[in-house]
Amino acid sequence: MKKTFLVKRNGLLSLTDVSWGVFALACAIIVLLVRLIAPGFFWYVFTPVFRVADAVSLEGHSFISGFENAAKLTAQNERLANENTALANENQALAQKIIDIEDLFTSTTAKSGILAGVVARPPESPYDTLVLAAGENAGITLGMEAFGDGGVPLGIVSSVLADFSRVTLFSAPGVTTAGWVGNDGLAITISGAGAGVMNATVSRSAAIAVGDTVFAPGPGMLPIGKVIRIDSNPTAPGVTLRIQPALNLFSVSWVTIRDTGVPFSISATSTP
Amino acid sequence: MMRGTSLSFSTCGTLTLLAFVSVIFFPWPLTIMLAFTSSFFIPLLPLAIGLFADTLYYTPHSGTLPLFTLYGALAAGVSIFVHRQLRTGIIGR
Repeated sequence: MKKTFLVKRNGLLSLTDVSWGVFALACAIIVLLVRLIAPGFFWYVFTPVFRVADAVSLEGHSFISGFENAAKLTAQNERLANENTALANENQALAQKIIDIEDLFTSTTAKSGILAGVVARPPESPYDTLVLAAGENAGITLGMEAFGDGGVPLGIVSSVLADFSRVTLFSAPGVTTAGWVGNDGLAITISGAGAGVMNATVSRSAAIAVGDTVFAPGPGMLPIGKVIRIDSNPTAPGVTLRIQPALNLFSVSWVTIRDTGVPFSISATSTP
Repeated sequence: MMRGTSLSFSTCGTLTLLAFVSVIFFPWPLTIMLAFTSSFFIPLLPLAIGLFADTLYYTPHSGTLPLFTLYGALAAGVSIFVHRQLRTGIIGR
């Protein structure tokens, strides 16, 4: 009887019980070794896979959105078209203003930057990071700033390979950025809270309201997001601003990389 | 022959494959859910999935840890412990 019991007990971690787990773990370790030993080859292999994932995700969104109410979509479409027209006009006016200002200062800020395709983005990639299909060979270096559509600052290049790089978003935990909020340009420190959200603390007396624009340094002040909620604790001297990025991080497909010369408090590494 | 604790060979294989595919194709909360569910049958799978996710997405910089690997190891440890208790107890007989 005792012998039978011991055989059963020893069989708890037997090959047949854990073999699928061991097989999966071995695969994961092999992939990790390939990444550490040959990072370039690793990303060459995985980039097509990410592209397929993107295509599948896009098709899925289209399929699901097809079930929504058509009338609601029409109304939304009309409202967005009107907003688009208004924004296009405003954009044109602002572009003209920028040209005038640049003429005045004869600055060299009109650099085009490096255009890079996004291989992986949240929510597939955790840690609020973007994987880009451009690296050292395209001229990307550590500490450069990534911009989305409309010149919205997104994050900082934190890892560079020959043909691939990673951008740590401003919303990543541990990333702090000096910025401004509101029309008066109140100086704040923006800290990443994860999941695409940022926080900042300001004095209770500062007249900040929900909807105020938050700016980050680039060439000048660039809109990085909007205040979506203000949390107030009666025992604290300040209030906490919850900031939503100006750009939907889930749909970023291209970014522009530029060296702005602005220091950010993230210790970037060259680890692949 | 490879098989899981109480599921068939093909079901365990499908779960393992699905969990790996979900790291790339699905949002990460779904991957966590899948790995956690699979851990009932394949104890080491959360660790493997955590390692794979961090291989793809983790960037080392100050203040961050490879959380997927750490939580995967924790889940695997708990799962192995629970399997051990079930097997030695009267519940699994």
